[in-house]
Amino acid sequence: MQEEKIMTEQESLRLISRTIYEAKGYYYESGMSALMYGFSVFVCSILCYLRDEKIIAFPFHPFYLLIPVFFVLGWAQMKEDKKKKAKTFTDEAIDYVWMGFMLSALAAFAAGFAGLYYISIAIVLILISLATFLTGMIAKFKYHIVCSFIGWALAIVSFFILNPNIYLLLAFDAVMVWVIPGFMLRAAFKKIHGGE
Amino acid sequence: MFKDLDPILHSQLRLAVVSLLISVKEAEFTFLKEKTNSTAGNLSVQINKLKDAGYIEVLKQFKENYPQTICKITPVGVKAFEAYVKDLQSYLTIKK
Repeated sequence: MQEEKIMTEQESLRLISRTIYEAKGYYYESGMSALMYGFSVFVCSILCYLRDEKIIAFPFHPFYLLIPVFFVLGWAQMKEDKKKKAKTFTDEAIDYVWMGFMLSALAAFAAGFAGLYYISIAIVLILISLATFLTGMIAKFKYHIVCSFIGWALAIVSFFILNPNIYLLLAFDAVMVWVIPGFMLRAAFKKIHGGE
Repeated sequence: MFKDLDPILHSQLRLAVVSLLISVKEAEFTFLKEKTNSTAGNLSVQINKLKDAGYIEVLKQFKENYPQTICKITPVGVKAFEAYVKDLQSYLTIKK
């Protein structure tokens, strides 16, 4: 691009809109975090179901397995952030949405300590849908917007099935909200960045 | 014709850099180079001009033993960009 080329007003406006469009479209997302988190929640939900149905015995609540996963995820996310050439406002807004979700989900799990295990899962289902909806709207990702409505429907259903089957709804939600988009992001990432 | 337009912004490369930086929180030098399709030398000169005008902040640091330059638009830069776009729009309105 030449430095001192004289531009007409139309050329200036065209340049502005083109560069803004390009910058806003930038993202660097390998999909690994979504896959790791999605599979972890899926596995823990299935273990909870099997434990509550007394099919298997588990020495502690399987959701405690998510604690080390959070640390690994945090480390992986930090590594990925370092590879980003630009930090967009979209990235930042989505990070805050999921940070808010994590904290709210932790608060909701407190209901478990009061013996309200299944209610806490129903609340978590609502929170997942809220975070998914906001992510979909911010990133203009229709898949997530549709998922959020399905998730809210599942959350309503979950209030009527306060038994071990509720964990199957959570497992389904995890696949829909994290695992499938994770694979979509992974495929797009491989297409753009190759074997990076 | 453009005598009232901000001379710092009324340059193809500088305008492209500011337009990119207004859309992101911060960006690396390599990102700006890639998106503007410019040479490192030319881009470096233009970035310094924007920095001297107070329109952008430039942070130099090391990432995995390699030098890294991060650019970020300042509130002064945002105001200048907004004024520039407003001026452009008024020119277009007059022409119509």
